[in-house]
Amino acid sequence: MAEQVLSIPPRESPVWRMFKSLALIRESVVGMVGLALIVFWVLVAVFANVLAPFPPNATIMPMAMPGTVGPDGSVFWLGTDHIGRDILSRIIYGSRRVLIFAPVATFCAYALGTPMGLAAGYRRGMTDDVLSFIANIILSFPVLVLYVIIIATVGASAINILVAVTFASAPGIFRIVRGLALDLRNREYVYAAETRGESPWRIMLVEILPNARGPLIVDACLRLGYVIITIGVLGFLGLGLPPPDPDWGGMINETRALATSFPHMTIYPVIAISSLVLGFNLLADGLREVSLRD
Amino acid sequence: MKKELKDAHGKRIHPYVPELCEQLREGKVDRREFLRTATLLGVSAGAAYGMAGKILGTEMISQPAQAQETPKQGGSFKVSMQVQEMTDPATYDWTQKSNVARHMTEYLTFTGPDNVTRPYLAEGWEASDDLKTWTLKLQKGVKWSNGDDFGADDVVHNFTRWLDPKVGSSNVGLFASMVDEVDTGKKDDKGNPVMGKRMTEGAVEKIDDHTVRLNLNSADLAIPENLYNYPTAIVHRRFDEEGGDLSKNPVGTGPYMLSEFQVGEKATLQRRPEKYWGDQPYLDEIRYIDHGEDRSAWLAALASKQVDALFEVDVTQIDVVERLPHAVLHQAVTAQTGVARMQRTQAPFDNINLRRAIMACMDHQKLLDLAHRGKGAPGENHHVAQIHPEYAKLPPLKQDYDLAKKLLNDAGYKDGVTLSVNVGDATGSWETDTMQALKQQLEPSGINLQLNKMPQTQYWEVWTKAPFSFTGWTHRPLGVMVLNLAYRTGVPWNESNYSNPEFDKALDVASSLLDVEERRKAMVTAEKILQDDAIIAQPLWRAVFTATDKRVKGFRKHPTNYDQFNKVWLA
Amino acid sequence: MLVFIVRRLGTMILTMVVVSILLFLLLEINSASVAIKVLGPYTSEEQRNLWLEAHGYFRPIHIRYFDWLGNFIVGNFGDSIRFKVPVGEILWPRLANTGILGLAAMAVVIPLSLTLGVLAGMREGSKLDRVISVGSIVTTSIPEFASAVLLSAIFVYYLDLLPGTSSMSDGFSPVQLILPAMVLILYDFGYVTRMTRASMAEVMTTHYVRTAVLKGLPYRAVIMRHALRNALIAPFTVIMLQINWLLSGVIVVEFAFAYKGFGALLLEASLNQDLYMIEACAMVAVFVAVITQMVADIGYTYLNPRIRFA
Repeated sequence: MAEQVLSIPPRESPVWRMFKSLALIRESVVGMVGLALIVFWVLVAVFANVLAPFPPNATIMPMAMPGTVGPDGSVFWLGTDHIGRDILSRIIYGSRRVLIFAPVATFCAYALGTPMGLAAGYRRGMTDDVLSFIANIILSFPVLVLYVIIIATVGASAINILVAVTFASAPGIFRIVRGLALDLRNREYVYAAETRGESPWRIMLVEILPNARGPLIVDACLRLGYVIITIGVLGFLGLGLPPPDPDWGGMINETRALATSFPHMTIYPVIAISSLVLGFNLLADGLREVSLRD
Repeated sequence: MKKELKDAHGKRIHPYVPELCEQLREGKVDRREFLRTATLLGVSAGAAYGMAGKILGTEMISQPAQAQETPKQGGSFKVSMQVQEMTDPATYDWTQKSNVARHMTEYLTFTGPDNVTRPYLAEGWEASDDLKTWTLKLQKGVKWSNGDDFGADDVVHNFTRWLDPKVGSSNVGLFASMVDEVDTGKKDDKGNPVMGKRMTEGAVEKIDDHTVRLNLNSADLAIPENLYNYPTAIVHRRFDEEGGDLSKNPVGTGPYMLSEFQVGEKATLQRRPEKYWGDQPYLDEIRYIDHGEDRSAWLAALASKQVDALFEVDVTQIDVVERLPHAVLHQAVTAQTGVARMQRTQAPFDNINLRRAIMACMDHQKLLDLAHRGKGAPGENHHVAQIHPEYAKLPPLKQDYDLAKKLLNDAGYKDGVTLSVNVGDATGSWETDTMQALKQQLEPSGINLQLNKMPQTQYWEVWTKAPFSFTGWTHRPLGVMVLNLAYRTGVPWNESNYSNPEFDKALDVASSLLDVEERRKAMVTAEKILQDDAIIAQPLWRAVFTATDKRVKGFRKHPTNYDQFNKVWLA
Repeated sequence: MLVFIVRRLGTMILTMVVVSILLFLLLEINSASVAIKVLGPYTSEEQRNLWLEAHGYFRPIHIRYFDWLGNFIVGNFGDSIRFKVPVGEILWPRLANTGILGLAAMAVVIPLSLTLGVLAGMREGSKLDRVISVGSIVTTSIPEFASAVLLSAIFVYYLDLLPGTSSMSDGFSPVQLILPAMVLILYDFGYVTRMTRASMAEVMTTHYVRTAVLKGLPYRAVIMRHALRNALIAPFTVIMLQINWLLSGVIVVEFAFAYKGFGALLLEASLNQDLYMIEACAMVAVFVAVITQMVADIGYTYLNPRIRFA
């Protein structure tokens, strides 16, 4: 390892560079607020088993108002739902589900969309034509229409939703990456690498991709927020992640008929999902702001 | 005593009726059971109420006492309900379809919200002692909306088309005692002959213009009850010739006529100008308005006074209704339920110890409290409800985790087991809620229950094939009816693929017994076998609800959600 | 320009064909399952086979596809399973209803977000810009289903001001449009505002605007005469693409308020596996999306002659 460091001029690893550009967010108030919201929910998710006063699926005492004291003396701070599950505990555990599912789905979409976008933008020609055509076809479906048809046909399971989200988001990522690659392929360091005789995939992944990171990070934040909303919408339409594990959209769907008399059952999940989405949107805005300042 | 029982028209009375009266006198059957059975045996409702009144020495009113207000004539009554296609009453598969049609096409009998079946288009009926011959006397002076007289030809035509496989009516199953299994002459992929069902020759006989006789292959106790099942509305004898579409060519004997019909949007019924053969209804107009599949939207329509009544209110919504100042909540006690049934032909449910372990974890009262707000009655894992006349009380079921763990151990699941149950929510989200509550109860024993929630249509596609699923069952007036439909060997709706000759025998016995006492004794065996075989985990019997505006009078919730607004009026 | 339009048209038709093949394969390749969906789960094998034979389902798949496509092109979508009438009879009025709802929402969104976007983008970084930008991020972060629940709790139950459902069963009633339109507006205006703001901010930094300001032209005149025209090109595309988004967005809103529109129809068709209705809805949705995309492209090119036809 040591020889390598000596033989190659010190070059920052892509991960480090990415981290540095993320650290710039300090300069944006909006971005910091967004980051704080996300960090808050991440901490909640990580420490869910410590924070939650009750097991999330335990049916204890139906229709309790916020602040009701439960049978064992502990308090339902946000009340319980129609079959007696503690709302606070469900929101806390629900954060786990959404914070695992949304990033995984977004990551899968990137894993699919990025290489294709790179290939299309860098290689151009036939590759680009074929991939762009496929992407355009998927993009021509209004997104939710696509989800509803797929999920109502194949059924709602975590895997199916994951596949549907990946399938529907990848073309958008493809387009962005393709556009960036088209732009970056004319840079000098790409020519230099080509002259060095590096393989096309190495050029795409090592030379082009890291330099496209700025817009992609911003896009990823927006996309995460959007995926969270999508999962919520599917839950709301009754096509969401299977019960009984808590899912914020599903919680709203299950209890919204009661929102008028028992607002606590719906309002708190609404606040939870909105604040997390807001966090990602604000972070994206802040990142864009600082990247423009570069 | 015999004299007392003679019908006013000197009609022959079923020989079991005197014994029934005796039982009522001795308190062996209660008034409800008496009325139900007496009317089932062809005694008119009025006469039955009269007999009961004389025996019990109390004045009985044949109609439940309404508030002492004078009904007001007129008005337009708006109901929120999905408006579905309603081409052919015989093929209806949703109560909603029949609810619009019920105001136009009527039934031979009428089972009221009190669960007592009365004469309707049939003014009375008689059953032979062996319950294999039923004679239906039809109401005279009933006119179709096209001016024709209603009579035996109409009824014969309806039976004939119900039992014609080309029509595709579920009535083929309902009147199984009038159907033969025949070889269609075709072969399936495996070369086995494809069997079809055809009406038995001579099963329906016209005696005169107003008398029809049914000749059954086997005894059937529930003919009058079946004649009010929702796909048995009587259509005109030329229904098929004239297009076979009730929504396009509405002809009926009922007091209302379809004046506007848009599937998915609305259906409007106007009162016919001619005099109705029965009691004149009050409302001028009934409007069904479709608010989609979202129950919250239905309630919002009532809250903002866009409608006067709802098709159904979900149990989770009753608190909201109670807080609406202008709304009234209506409740009906029913034999509607859901069963988590297991197919013992499929692993791991072929293991009786596993099935029994599930049963041992159940605390039915707690399931009812948690999943259905305590509204209804606890289940007993044998699908016979306390409100069924032949319900036999078995020793109470107890939650016993030690037993459950021992059974699981015996079944070879020392370290617990993960099971997955299909849930379709076909009758509402209470199904999912119930399974979630059950999941909680199974957990301490080491059984991890996973819910496989699926879209309704997909649920029904695998309904009879899935190893483990939770199915909502509707109300049926008699306990034997549902056991015959769902647990007899080889019947089409036998979703648990259950086959036990001993059970079939016990059910045969029970189904042929008119004597409620005797039938109840026979039911002990049938119920016990079902419980011991542990094929259904039945958490609860549910009450059903709806809400109306306070200005709606004379409204009663029917246990099967059937609408008939002949007695409804608006204040 | 003409070549460009013809090429776009060609791509559009090709897209539609591929989409139709995918849809056909997804929904109709398994003919046994088609029969179950059409005839219901309680039918016998005998009945299903009779039906499949009568409706040509035993023919080879490519013949079935071309037959199906031919029918589609002439507008014969088949009969709805759930409604038992030709699909078109239900579909077209529902699409028109959604058009009305969409127009109502857009009639507010467009002026509102263009004004806010221009105001914010005019002086980037100002207090007003901050308020508008953050405000539009916040409203975009509240999912439609959440605001639908909250708004109906407030306006229907607490204030008793607005009707709870929008089924228009007694004929068209503008007051019933308010809640569904409000939800759409709330969710959508933020996005268009931010796009307009970004475009405006970019224009404000261009040379000719700076020069105009330096030349001493009145600020108002610079904005009206130079900046605005160029800044509104990008939002034009965004607004055209909102039509595509609306087809998704209305699903939630129509479901929640029982509005008899295209979104609710598609959702209910999917939940009930109303096969031919799903096919028609999907094709119509894609058709609308592809057309608006094309109009957006052509319009953008027309408005912005600096772009070469690629």
